[in-house]
Amino acid sequence: MKRTYTLYIVIITWSLAPLLWQLYTSFSTTEALIEPFNFTVSSRWTLDNYQQVLTANPPFWRYLMNSTIVGLISTIITLIISIPASYSLVKLKAKPQKIVKLIFFSAALFPYVLLFLALLEIARTLNIGNNLIALTIPYSALSMPLALLLLSSAFKDIPSELEEAARLEGLDIWQRLRWVLIPLIAPATASTAILVFLFSWNEYPIALTWLSNEKLLTLPVAIARIAGSSVYSVPYGAYAAATVLGSIPLLLLVLIFQRQIVSGLTQGAIKG
Amino acid sequence: MISLLLIPASLLIFLVFGMPLIRYVWLSFHASSVITGLIPIPNNGGNWIRLINDLRFWQDTIQTIRFSFVSVTIEIVLALFIALILDQSCKGRGVVRSLTLLPWALPTTIMALGWRWIFNTPYGPIDQLLNHLNIGSLNILSSPNLTWIATVIADVWKTTPFVALILLAGLQTIPEDLYEAFRLEGGTPIQALTKITIPLLKPYIFLGILFRMAQAFGVFDLIQVMTGGGPASSTESIAMYAYINAMRFLDFGYSATVMLGGFILLIISSFTCFILVYHSTNVQEKITS
Repeated sequence: MKRTYTLYIVIITWSLAPLLWQLYTSFSTTEALIEPFNFTVSSRWTLDNYQQVLTANPPFWRYLMNSTIVGLISTIITLIISIPASYSLVKLKAKPQKIVKLIFFSAALFPYVLLFLALLEIARTLNIGNNLIALTIPYSALSMPLALLLLSSAFKDIPSELEEAARLEGLDIWQRLRWVLIPLIAPATASTAILVFLFSWNEYPIALTWLSNEKLLTLPVAIARIAGSSVYSVPYGAYAAATVLGSIPLLLLVLIFQRQIVSGLTQGAIKG
Repeated sequence: MISLLLIPASLLIFLVFGMPLIRYVWLSFHASSVITGLIPIPNNGGNWIRLINDLRFWQDTIQTIRFSFVSVTIEIVLALFIALILDQSCKGRGVVRSLTLLPWALPTTIMALGWRWIFNTPYGPIDQLLNHLNIGSLNILSSPNLTWIATVIADVWKTTPFVALILLAGLQTIPEDLYEAFRLEGGTPIQALTKITIPLLKPYIFLGILFRMAQAFGVFDLIQVMTGGGPASSTESIAMYAYINAMRFLDFGYSATVMLGGFILLIISSFTCFILVYHSTNVQEKITS
């Protein structure tokens, strides 16, 4: 028991240490920054870094907003399309179902960063770069394979007698979906939703190539821009403050939805 | 009738996965760069000949394979360790699980820059500690032999939780009485690990390897933000090279060729992995069930 707790501390230290260093940096003055282990530096603590990030133009919360908007819309689109599709996937005959699932499985494995050039060409042709709503289309599409695998395995777990009974009660297919099946797959839907949201919130290469308007950047791109300015003069104090602010929403999400994330990831990997 | 509902999803998947690949094949047989005014002109496989003779591409391939192989190996070992700890039922397990998951949930770019600060010379904590211990500065991010190791550490930190969860799910399928019986016959805990846990965990370990190999092979965010591919392109991955060709050199035709080349290499390595998986376990049932 005691040994387990010691090991817990080891794991948590490993996971959190780099983040705590960012937290520490974010409160340090420039003088303290260059001597991190010297606690005799006068005026060691400051809130300037946070002030700088929050009053920058555009202010930091703007990026948080952009990422949230993109994340939410992508999640909704993905669910609307993937729930009926998963249902019909389960109704396919065994052989085609196996083939379709194998295709989705390979797509889910595919390192999507390799797609950025073609997607950029599409954005340029249709003139939809610099549009947050347009960005949710590739995000939903990229999330689709995982969503279909998770949701179809949830539909499959529903005993067929249940749907049969509902059918004999005179419910048509839409009523069955609405009143019987969708409520039953709610846990899998929640897992899918949170995973799609996290993916869209964190996505980098496509947002990087699609967005150039300062005001529309999503959080990962905005953060990387700080680094991109110069290899030598990254404003680390302000950057650390941005990291901390950017991590808080995700920390909350992980704490609240831990169960859904875990079951989504493991189901996705195992049943997928 | 009902299978019509599959059409929108399939169309979307085709739009982002299928069409780009077809487009790349077409582009890879055309010169399309600033010189041609980004108008594709057929060049009789010139891109492919250039790719085969491109030392930088092969250097990046070796780097990508080295990075993927070392990262994934360390991740599997560490993840097994973490999964075994998280498998013990203990108070507060939920919170510990959430906190270990956090590195995975954060955007890669956030912590890529965070790691750059940690490995910074001379202000980062690692360099400071090395100086305190009189080892002296290692210049981690400016020495080609060390920088790639720093990127491996950052990658391991971020993705181990994911692998640990897969392995944890596997651990929970092993019935408790198996260990009980083994212990009654006089087996030690270490033997239980090598004789029961690891053999039964094999399908999950292979799944973890398959997932992670594919992702590590396409590593981009981490490298682009943490090192920019440097120093002296020592950490440049295939995806990074394709990105540079498209966005910096504006050579779309060649960029597409690099991506296809990387994709072909990925298929070859996944196929090798998959054959291993098929022959050693019953994972094929798991995938299609």
